Formats: sequence, C-alpha cells, structure tokens
Amino acid sequence: MSKAASGKRSDLPPILTGVGAVAVFLLICEALIRAGVISQFIVPPPSEIFGSFYRLFTEEHIVRRFFFTTGESLTASIMVAVFGIALGVVIQRYRLLQQACETWVAAFAAAPVVLAYPLFMVIFGRNALTIIVMGFVSGLPPVTLKTIEGISGTRKVLVNVGRSFNLNATQQFWKILFPAAMPTIFVGLRLGLIFALINIVGTEFLINFGGLGQLIEDLAERYDLAGTYSAICFVILVSVLFFMALEKIERWLRPVD
Amino acid sequence: MAETGRLTQSAGTAPVSAVMLLRAAIILAVLAAWELLARSGWLYRDVVPPLETIVRALANLLSDPEFYHHLAVTLGEIAAALAIGGLSGLTAGIVLGANRFLAKAFEPYLYYLGPTPKIIFFPVLIMWFGLGSESKVALGTLSCFFPVALSVAAGMRGIDKVLIRVGDSFRASRWQMVLKIYLPAMRHPIINGVRLGLGVALIGVLLAETKLSSAGIGFLIIQAYSVFDMPRMYAMLIVLFVLAIGANALVGRLGGLDSIRRT
Amino acid sequence: MAAAQPKSEPILVVNDIVVRYETAEGPIVAVDEVSFIVRPGEFLSVIGPSGCGKSSLFNVIGGLLGQHQGTVRVAGETVTGPHKAIGMVFQEESTFPWRNVTDNVAFPLELVGLDRARRAERAKHFISLVGLDGFEKRYPGELSGGMRQRVSLARTLASEPKILLMDEPFAALDEQTRLLLGDKVLQIQQQLQQTMLLITHNITEAVQMSDRILVMTYRPGKVKRIVDIDLPRPRTSEIVTSEAFGRYVAEIWNDLREEASRGMKDEEAYALRHHGTAHE
Repeated sequence: MSKAASGKRSDLPPILTGVGAVAVFLLICEALIRAGVISQFIVPPPSEIFGSFYRLFTEEHIVRRFFFTTGESLTASIMVAVFGIALGVVIQRYRLLQQACETWVAAFAAAPVVLAYPLFMVIFGRNALTIIVMGFVSGLPPVTLKTIEGISGTRKVLVNVGRSFNLNATQQFWKILFPAAMPTIFVGLRLGLIFALINIVGTEFLINFGGLGQLIEDLAERYDLAGTYSAICFVILVSVLFFMALEKIERWLRPVD
Repeated sequence: MAETGRLTQSAGTAPVSAVMLLRAAIILAVLAAWELLARSGWLYRDVVPPLETIVRALANLLSDPEFYHHLAVTLGEIAAALAIGGLSGLTAGIVLGANRFLAKAFEPYLYYLGPTPKIIFFPVLIMWFGLGSESKVALGTLSCFFPVALSVAAGMRGIDKVLIRVGDSFRASRWQMVLKIYLPAMRHPIINGVRLGLGVALIGVLLAETKLSSAGIGFLIIQAYSVFDMPRMYAMLIVLFVLAIGANALVGRLGGLDSIRRT
Repeated sequence: MAAAQPKSEPILVVNDIVVRYETAEGPIVAVDEVSFIVRPGEFLSVIGPSGCGKSSLFNVIGGLLGQHQGTVRVAGETVTGPHKAIGMVFQEESTFPWRNVTDNVAFPLELVGLDRARRAERAKHFISLVGLDGFEKRYPGELSGGMRQRVSLARTLASEPKILLMDEPFAALDEQTRLLLGDKVLQIQQQLQQTMLLITHNITEAVQMSDRILVMTYRPGKVKRIVDIDLPRPRTSEIVTSEAFGRYVAEIWNDLREEASRGMKDEEAYALRHHGTAHE
C-alpha cells in the first residue's frame, strides 16, 4: 500500500503530467466520438457525461440516494467494528481457539462472500437488510484478523513491563495489549470498511434496491447512456473520497509509525 | 530464525490433536445447529434445508454434465481475465516501479481507483462487448488489473538495490535484468498480487454472470434462485467457495514453496 | 615471491577524479582530484574514515557512477560504464536468494551465454577456490554471512576480471571471520595472481592484505599518503602478530586519526543542526 506521491513541491510536475494525461485522454475521446469514429450510442462524449451530472442532482435525487447508501454503510460499519474487534479479541484470548480458528477466518476473508447475495435475498428479502448484512459479512473477516494479529504482535517487552507492575489479566489487556494493537486494528478497520462499502454498492446494483448502486442499474435499464456513465463516475468519486477520508483518519489517529 | 520477541512466541503451541478436536467440535456444533434450524420450521420452507437435502443436491450437481459445461465456461472466463488483467497489470507495475516520475504521475490513480466496486461498470461493458463471455472477461480483467499492478509496482521498489547493482556491474542487458533479476526478486509480491487478482477476477466474473448471462456458474445460481431451488443454490455456493478458497490456498502455497529467504 | 612486477604497465589508471553531490545544505565535494595507479598483480587498499568518499570512488572506478570529472582507464581503455575487466564485490549482501550457490556463481557466465554444462564446471572451480566445496546446491538462506560473501566473491571471480574491486566486503562480519576470510582472499590472490583494489576503513585488514595503502582524507576526499607495505609474501593472518605489522598499523592510524576525528566532529555538528528530524 505504498503511495508514490509524497506531496512535496518537487512532485508538482509528475502530478500535473498525470492530470494532463487524463485531460488529453478525455479530449481525444471527445474528438473521436464527435467524429463518429466511436459510436455515440455506445459511448457518449465526455462533455455530455459531465453535463448529465446536473440531472443526477435534480432529477435522480442523487443526494437522497447518497444518504441512503451512507446510512447502510454506517450501520454495516458499526456492526463490523463492534463484532469484528470483539470476535478478534475473544479468539486471541484463548490460544487453542486462535490456533483452531484463525486460518478459518483468513479463508473467509479470501472467500467470495458477495456471491451469496441471492441466498441473502431469499433469507432477508430484496431490501436494505440484505445490503447491510452483505456489507457486514464482507467487512468482518479483515477486522477480526487484524485484531488478532495486532494483539498477538504486542512486543514481549511491553508485556513484561506490565508484569513487572503486577497488572492482572484484565488490566494487562486494557492498558497494554489493546492500545498496542490499535494501529493494526485501524488498518483492519480501514480494510473492513472498504470491503463493506464496495459490497454494499455492488449489492445495491445487483439486487436493484437502495441508493447509489441502484441508481446505476436504473439508468442502465432506461438506456440513459450519459446518465449511466455519469452515475458511475459519481459513485467512483464517492468511493475514492471515502477511501481518502479513511486514510486521513487512520493517519490522524496514529501519527507515529 | 531471529527472535522477534512477540507475544505469541512466548508460550508454547497447543498440541495438534487438541486443535483438531476443537475444530471438529465447532464444525459439528454448527452442523447440529443448522439441522435443528432446518427441521424447526422456524424459517420459511426451504430457506434452511436439512443437511441431507443439501448433500443430495450436491451429489446431483456433481453428477450433472450440464454443471460441468457451465463450470468450464466460468473457469475459462476467469482464466482469460486473470491472463489479460494479470499481464497488463504486471507490465504496468514494472513500468511504474521502474520510473519514479511515471509512478508519481499515475500510480495514485491506480491506488485510489483500486478499492472501488467494479461491478457497476457492467452495464457499460455490456454495451461495449455484448452479452456473451467477453463482457464477463472484461469485468474480471478490470477487477484484476489493479491489485496486480499495485503489488508489482511496490515489489519493484522493494527490490534490494544491491541486486540491481550486481546486474549492472556484470553489464546485463535490459532484458536479462528483467528476467534474471527483477522478476525473481519480486516473486513474493507477484504471487501475492496474482492471489489478490485471482480473487477479484473470480468475483467479478461470477457477479457479472449472475447479473446477465446465459451460461456459467453465476447463471446457474440465479437460475436456482429464480425457481427457488434452494438446495441446488446451496450446493453451488459450496462448490464455488471450495474452489475459490482452494485456488487461493494453492497460489499462496506456491509463494510459500519458495521458503528460501535471507535472514 | 615478489609482491608485484616492478615498473610494468599499470592496469588501472585513476586520473584526477572529482565527485560532487548536491545536498540540502548545498554542494559537497566527496572526492577531490584523486589520482593513483595500480599495477598488475598488485594489492592496493584505499583506506579512509567514513565520509572520505571511498564508496563514491568505488562506484566511479566500477563504472556505476557516471557523474564525475576525471578519467579512469583500465587495461588501456577508458571506463564509461561497468567494464569487462573490472569485477565488483559489494559491501551489502548481494547473493541472489532465489538461486543456489552454483547458479549464483555461474551468473556472469549465464549472461554471456555459456552453456549449462560448462557453466556448472567453471562455477565449481571458483566455488572450490573460495572453500565452499560441497555447498553447490545450497541456497544463500542456508549459509552464514561469511559464506554468502564468499559466494559473491566467487561469482565475481567467475567473470575473470583483470582487476577485482571490493568495497568493504567484510564490513558486516565479525573480526575472527574477517581475518580468516582475509587469509582466503590472500590465498586466492596468490593463486590467480589477481590484481585487487580493496576499499576499507579497517586498518588491520588493509595492512594484512596490501602491497600499498592509499590513505584518504576526510571530505573532501584527497589522497593523503601512499604507504608501501613491505611485509613478506606469501602472507597469512599470522602476520598480525609481527612487530613490523604493528608499526605499519600505528603509522597509518596516525594519519587516519586526524581525519577520523574531523569526521566525527562534522557528524555531531550535523546532528545538532538537524535536531528533531529523522536522519536517514
């Protein structure tokens, strides 16, 4: 997860080059589409796509949809955080349990959980509950894994410091193990929240219910090309901003690395 | 192996047999709870079918030639997505890893666009590639490209610089540098990137199949859903999960095979 | 056996090398008009405190650092990049962890297209030369630090360079291993009549191995003195107990001490100026 840009003044030329390249690419697309080389019934010209953004706000109630998706995400996120960390703590607490279950959780993290959405639809219905559960289930494993990893990875010397002060097990946990594990837990939370959001928007699209994801499905069914493209761009933008925000929060919460 | 002084290294590990027992106990408990729930009639009809029904559906599925036809379609699409997305990701990763300027210019885009829901691109991909396998492969490729490119780029930057100087001091050609030094030195990040890429390619292809398709496992799943054949759906999900987790473990094992590391 | 053929055509001519770097604090001169020659079969050490530009010099001679003034000529040809006649052994761990010992040593032979059978045969010869018989199929991860450096040495020797250029190859090893490996290198030099140029900060090592020692000043690095080491050859590490050895070490330390303490004061001043920042 290394970032290439470091934000110094000397980074301006490459950043501008990147932005410039994207702009040039869009201009070329615009030209090719207007010239008829690329059919405008398959790819609307970028100008038209930008123009459609306005419609998203006025006609498609994208703000309301945004808040709907955000609500789902928030619910799922809280559940992921609470249950994920709790589960991780419990598993780590008992050595035998950790040895038995940790690989299972890792396997779960690698499993394509989102593919079970038809099953969830049957169980919970074609509604927000399915979407939230989907977000919850996909976000849970990374948080649990990182919690286990974080607590297990506490440096022995810190544990010994606690022992030397005669801390009991509970104090040891809350005053040493848990705080020491925080940075790793936050990494897990970031991963879990990202997975949750991706699967929430994806599920909205797939089951044709909800906020932003459903909008794209809707516009596509109505053959509103420019609308579909601009809605996709909007959702990608929201996703990117969400990711950036999470990164900022994580960095703010652990300034020393 | 150097002592890391971590918490888990302190106390000894529990005996293997105890771990096995616990795992068996947990599995049995889950299965028992399932069976109870199934027979209790608490949930609507077949939502939680009895285990016997699921096993029977699984047997039917695995002996159905139709199933293997669809499986082949899906596997073919995943393989194609992994190949195209993987190779283009590898190339992009090598370029970005080798060139600081290009990395600063373009890698942030990959980094921030990576964790986004790619399935939403599907309507566009259908417009471009049609209703057949191509659009599924396209979605898989799109998903797969990002983790591979980012892993490889990071891998390039993580190569021990002295190894590059060794190659330079022996006047290796550019091609020799890539094949004999860069790629082997990056084998861990590459394998990891492929593992991630395989995972998301699989998801992308299958989700696309569930959305709009006439062939493939995803299609079968939605088909089962639409006729409310729950045991069949469970059977297919089991097969799918076993395959996905198995493939992931296999690739991971490949990476671990090379346990030849420096201290 | 004589140390080096007297008055033969020098194999390496280093002429007025100047290396400058741009730093956050302005330009610094790492190497300031350094010139010297090396004759065939000779063992020359370049010794100096940290910050005397030794590594820059190493990279210039090896052709890995192109930004410099002055010229380097080896066997009559000007060095514009890594040269066939110059073999480099680096300070850091440089064996390829994914190749076994044979494949590591055979690497330069592979690059020039030698076939597998002959590669293995030649690699075996050099593996034997560094005393690693029996370890052909092992991987670097299974070897100790000293053994890995020997693999790196064998690898460079396998390319049969006219002059072997080494940058503190034993810096990461403990003293005893270093002395014994020094013996090994001397043995090899004897056997192959290999010309060697060793960059080091270790006085004992330099005196143990060399025919001549070039003492450098602290930054900007200049040639302070060239000392002829008139100890008999063949030599082993036993020489460190002799009186003559002790005198040479004392002599060189005398020259170096002043430079080394200048270096230390400089580092302290830097740390004071940059309090609070992580010094990478």
